[in-house]
Amino acid sequence: MPKNKEKSKYLEEYEKQMNMCIRCAYCFEKCPVIKEIQWDTDGARGKVIMSYGLLTGELEPSQYIADKLFRCTFCRDCLDKCPSKVEILKIIENARAEIVDAGFASDTHKYIIQNVKNTGNIYGDTEVIFPIQGGKTPLFIGCQYLGRPNKTKKYIKILEKLGIEPIVVEEICCGFPMEVLGFKDDYEKHKKEFKKKFPFKDAITLCPTCTVFLKEGHELKAKHVLQLILEKLPKANLDMKVTYHDPCDFSRGLKIIEEPRKILEKLGVEIVEMKNNRENSRCCGGGGGILMTDQELSNDIAKKRIREALETGVDTLVTSCPTCETTLKKAAQEISEKEGKTIVVRSMEDIIWKGLKNA
Amino acid sequence: MKIDIDKLKKIVGEENIRDNVADLYVYASDASVHTKMPDVVVRPGSINEVQEIMKYANKNKIPVTPRGAGSGMSGQTVPLSGGIILDMKRMNKIIEIRPEDVLCKVEPGVINDELNNILKPYGFFFPPTPSSGRICTIGGMIGTNASGNRSVKYGATRDAVIGMKVVLANGDLVNLGSNTKVDSSGYQLTKLMVGSEGTLGIVVEATLQISPIPKIRAMGIANFKKLEDAGKMISDTIANGITPSMLELMDNVAITAVNNAQNLGLPDVAAIVIFECNGMVKESVEYEINQIKEICKKNNGTGVKITNDENEMTDIYSGRKKLFPSLSKYRDGLYTTALADDMAVPMSKIADAVQEIHKIAKKNNVVMSAYGHCGAGLIHTKILMDTTKKSQWQGAKSAVKEVYDYVHTIGGTTSGEHGIGFSKGPSFKEEKKDSLGMMRAIKKALDPNNILNPNKLMDSPDDWLTATPLRYQIAD
Repeated sequence: MPKNKEKSKYLEEYEKQMNMCIRCAYCFEKCPVIKEIQWDTDGARGKVIMSYGLLTGELEPSQYIADKLFRCTFCRDCLDKCPSKVEILKIIENARAEIVDAGFASDTHKYIIQNVKNTGNIYGDTEVIFPIQGGKTPLFIGCQYLGRPNKTKKYIKILEKLGIEPIVVEEICCGFPMEVLGFKDDYEKHKKEFKKKFPFKDAITLCPTCTVFLKEGHELKAKHVLQLILEKLPKANLDMKVTYHDPCDFSRGLKIIEEPRKILEKLGVEIVEMKNNRENSRCCGGGGGILMTDQELSNDIAKKRIREALETGVDTLVTSCPTCETTLKKAAQEISEKEGKTIVVRSMEDIIWKGLKNA
Repeated sequence: MKIDIDKLKKIVGEENIRDNVADLYVYASDASVHTKMPDVVVRPGSINEVQEIMKYANKNKIPVTPRGAGSGMSGQTVPLSGGIILDMKRMNKIIEIRPEDVLCKVEPGVINDELNNILKPYGFFFPPTPSSGRICTIGGMIGTNASGNRSVKYGATRDAVIGMKVVLANGDLVNLGSNTKVDSSGYQLTKLMVGSEGTLGIVVEATLQISPIPKIRAMGIANFKKLEDAGKMISDTIANGITPSMLELMDNVAITAVNNAQNLGLPDVAAIVIFECNGMVKESVEYEINQIKEICKKNNGTGVKITNDENEMTDIYSGRKKLFPSLSKYRDGLYTTALADDMAVPMSKIADAVQEIHKIAKKNNVVMSAYGHCGAGLIHTKILMDTTKKSQWQGAKSAVKEVYDYVHTIGGTTSGEHGIGFSKGPSFKEEKKDSLGMMRAIKKALDPNNILNPNKLMDSPDDWLTATPLRYQIAD
């Protein structure tokens, strides 16, 4: 196999990381994609090996490789399981950048990135109504919540009720889609623009993924609103029994694990844990861009999680990520229609709002 | 070699065949240092499909290499002669669990820990405990005769496999072994198949002996200023008739690696020994753990601590648990390679072997740590080196040979639990030179066309370093 290609633009920096990978396959353990597909190529190790092939020139970029590299939910489980602590997701991100550079970006991804470039949000919405307000604490809303104005409104009302006065500005997308979908050059330009539009050093956030990215990509001191809400929330007695789904960017990314549980506890909500919970939470199937390019796989992963939730015997699943909420709702609906087993998926802000009214 | 992909598609279905170069590139390697692409990857879903594939491959003399998780460290699943990779992960059903007979029957793609999760409510477990248990398949464990940190008490996979169904090279299906613990009915072909690394047949079902989960557990730790004392402590423990469920050693390189990477503050001593006893009766566990404590003291062990508190046991074991990841962070620019990684030596020679390993490593300008299930005589070493430098590979090659030569002179064996593949081929062939003819005769009888994982074990190349391209970019 020839190893004489000119050094790659994005992956060269990760050659050491790829050499650190001993190819032990420990990343298979809970990888939602390989658990569904069962081909080595589709697991985290397979993606690292393909990335190495792209680096060395043993593999040429192709649509086939693009399809494989984009079949990843970025659930971070592989990072937890890797004994050598290889930066697997960074490698995949950069391999995606190589593939995109070579012209193999999907049309859906290109469309989203173009939207961000043109309008500052993933929807391409030029007429976003920002709930602009002056206050004391900068609040970053993020595209997922901007596209769900009712949820955003609910969160802002919760914050106000708890005496937290958010500052809302005409923000633009944090840029995570560019980074994760392989549009790295676009992201570098976007990053500068982001700083102009959101010129703060500290922020509170609504979306778990944005929280991670504001910290890692923009080096902001970002704090998720739930961390703040926990401090100020009064007790209530909702008398509910639910199961809680940990979003991966919370449990494995930010290690925000107990805070949502404590909030639910404070509101008088009993939690019945799923078999895989906290750091070991199963993926919802919605991350890493997979929702846009492989809905069937995304839905299969989500259905597995809903089945796990159904095993708890409760009738409500609560989560704190808008993407998780969307994928799990869809899966729950499908299972309910086809199998007659029903569980309602609700958001944290719904439960908190209900609790505040009850407090 | 021309492979009729359409024919294979008819057998397993289009969705279970892959021959894109990206797939072949991924399936070209495992956790060893080698790489060689197959021509096609096939995922059978039933015994019948395996039979049909083998009939086709045998007729057309196409090499077939079975593969589970592909986590082997010696190149067992690297298809040296190309051909078909049989990815067995689809055959992952637990066929039956019979607690009353202390056995279960499983397909080869079942994952070790998933089996144990299912056995738990019955109060049983499958005793071999490989570190890779969370991802390795029963088929892979059978192929390599895998074991782990509890082998000192429960033995290896071979001890727990009592029967199996095997598809032979010509596609015939045979039932081997029985459903009984004892079996004197002729040749023990089940035992022969375990550790044969896919060279004699494709295991399509296994009958496994299971054990009751012990109710009581206690753990201890001791530090030793001299390696000889640690070695003596290990051998005294076993020779005194105690059966610990774990007896693990970490040498100074291992301790330093853990401290550097994890900041655990382990004492800077020549060796640390961690031991565990388990059983059903508190008094017997206490008796054994206290006996080991006394043996530690007799052999100049310091800081001896024993406990049955779950949190304290987790703390004691955390250094050993974090050792593997720590090695890769031992020093910037040094990468972990699975070379000379699992020799076994007579118990009384452990300290000598560890010291010699360090001398050899230093002489060849590589770093080697020594740790492992020393209660079973097993020493894990990993060679840490700059894998991008040609000179380092030459050093590694010399170190591997010298380590194994030494191990053989003290009555040890090349592999204790990872198997031979072809990384260890040259040393294995040297160690077993008297019986290579027997092995080849067995192989010839069962696989006359030499299609089952060819060029492994006794037929492996004489130079592992040049047998395939290495999977690293190496500068001259």
